[in-house]
Amino acid sequence: MPKGLIHSKEDDVCVATTDIKKGEEVLCVYLEDPSSHVIVKSLQDIPLGHKIALRDIKKGEKVLKYGRPIGVAIKDILKGEHVHIHNIKSLRWGKWSQ
Amino acid sequence: MVTIKGYIRENGNVGIRNHVLILPLDDLSNTAAIGVSKLIRGTTVIPHPYGRLQFGRDLDLFFHILAGTGSNPNVASVIVIGIEENWANKVADEIAKTGKPVEVFPIEGYGDLRTIERASRKALEFVQEASEKQRTEVDISSIAMSIKCGESDTTSGLASNPAVGVVVDKMVDQGATVMFGETSELTGAEDIVAEKMANHELREKFLKIFKEYTEVIEREGVDLLGSQPTQGNIKGGLSTIEEKALGNIQKLGHRKVNCVLDYLDQLPKERKEGTLCFVNTSSAAAEAVTLFAAKGSVIHLFTTGQGNVVGHPIIPVIKITANPKTAKLMQEHIDIDVSDLLDLKITLEEAGERIYQYMLRVINGRLTKAEVLQHDEFSPIKLYVSA
Repeated sequence: MPKGLIHSKEDDVCVATTDIKKGEEVLCVYLEDPSSHVIVKSLQDIPLGHKIALRDIKKGEKVLKYGRPIGVAIKDILKGEHVHIHNIKSLRWGKWSQ
Repeated sequence: MVTIKGYIRENGNVGIRNHVLILPLDDLSNTAAIGVSKLIRGTTVIPHPYGRLQFGRDLDLFFHILAGTGSNPNVASVIVIGIEENWANKVADEIAKTGKPVEVFPIEGYGDLRTIERASRKALEFVQEASEKQRTEVDISSIAMSIKCGESDTTSGLASNPAVGVVVDKMVDQGATVMFGETSELTGAEDIVAEKMANHELREKFLKIFKEYTEVIEREGVDLLGSQPTQGNIKGGLSTIEEKALGNIQKLGHRKVNCVLDYLDQLPKERKEGTLCFVNTSSAAAEAVTLFAAKGSVIHLFTTGQGNVVGHPIIPVIKITANPKTAKLMQEHIDIDVSDLLDLKITLEEAGERIYQYMLRVINGRLTKAEVLQHDEFSPIKLYVSA
C-alpha cells in the first residue's frame, strides 16, 4: 500500500498519507498515473499530511507541488527530508517577515 | 432527471428546511429575540453582535446579510425584532419582497417583556402555519448550494476537495447553482481561477476583487503570514498560502465560472443553465457560510482536514474529511469520511458519488451532525469600525 501520494509528475515533494518513521522506504504513487511510483528513504519521522523531499533542493530554489511553485527553499533540503515551514517559505506572503 | 423533495416558496425558490426565524436586527435586541425562541417551540433565533451605528458599504452589507438570511428559501416566515422600528422595517421590507410572511416588533416604547409577548403571539401563528408546509418533488436544478474548506490540511487537496469537485461538476451539469469564495485563500492560484472564468468581463471583475482584498491587507502594513496558513493548517502539513490555495481550488471542479458576485451582488434571478459562482467572502468558516446563505445557498458542503466544527442556523452544513485521524477523533462532526481515497481503495468518482448521494439524503430531510449538535454559527462580515 502506498504511504505517500504525489500530485504531479514535476513535483518535488510526496505527501505522507500515514505517519512515517525515520529510515522507512516510502512508496509514493503519482495521482496523475497511479501505475507509476517512486520510492524515497525517509531521513526523519514524517507525520501524516506532511511532505518528503523527492530530490535534493538547493537554498533559493522553488519547490513544486501540483506542478506549481508553492514556495522557495530557505535552506538546502536533502532528498528524504521533511519539507515544511522550517525550510520553505511563501513566495507571496512572508516577505515582510524576513 | 433527478428530483429532490423541497419546499417551494412564494417566489418559486426552493428550500430544504422550514425555519420560522426570529431575527434580531441589532445586538440590543438579542435578549428579546432569545426570549421569544424560548417560549415558542419550532422557532430559530439567530443572535449576533452588530446592527448599531454602522455606515456606508458596511451597513449595506449588514442589511444584505440580514435580509438575505430572512429571504433564504429555507425560511418559511420571519419575525424581526429591533430597538428602532424604522431600522427594522428596512430589513423586513426586503424580506417581504419574497412574498413570505414577515412581521416587525420594535422594542422602543414597549420594553422587552411586552415585545416578547407580542412577538411570541405572532410566532405561535407562524409556527403553526409553517408546520403544514409540505415537501414537493422538484428538479435538482432548483438547488443553490455552496462549498468551502476549513482547518484544511494536505489531505484536503489530495482527496476531499477533488471529491467535492466531482459533485460540483455533477450539480452544475444538472442546472443547479454552486457558490464558492474564500478570496484570500486563492492567493497563489488566483491566475488559475481567473482562467476558469467564462468571459473577459467576469475575469476582470474577479481580478479586481482579488486585488482589492490584497490591497486591504497591505494597507495595514502586514501580510497574512501567521494567519494564513493557520496554525491548524501548518499542523496538518500545509507550509504556505500557495500550497493551501492550490489545494483549495481542487474543489471547484472543471466547469467554467459563469458568475462573479461582490459583497452586495445578488444571485441572478433567471438561471437557465448550471451556475458556478465566485462570491467575494472572507476565508473564515462561519463568515463565509453566513454570506453564502444570505445569497440563497440552501445547503453547504464543507471539507476539513484537521477538523472544523462550523454549522449555520438555517442551512445544513455537511462535513467531509479525508484525514483518517480526524474522521475518528472528531467523528461526531464528520458526516462523510473519504479517507479511503488516500489508500487508493476507491476512485475519485466513487468518493464524489458517496458525497452526492449523502447530500441528496440531507436535501430530502436527513439532519447533518452540525444541525443535531446545534452548531448555529451566524457571523456577518463587518468591513469597518462603527461610527
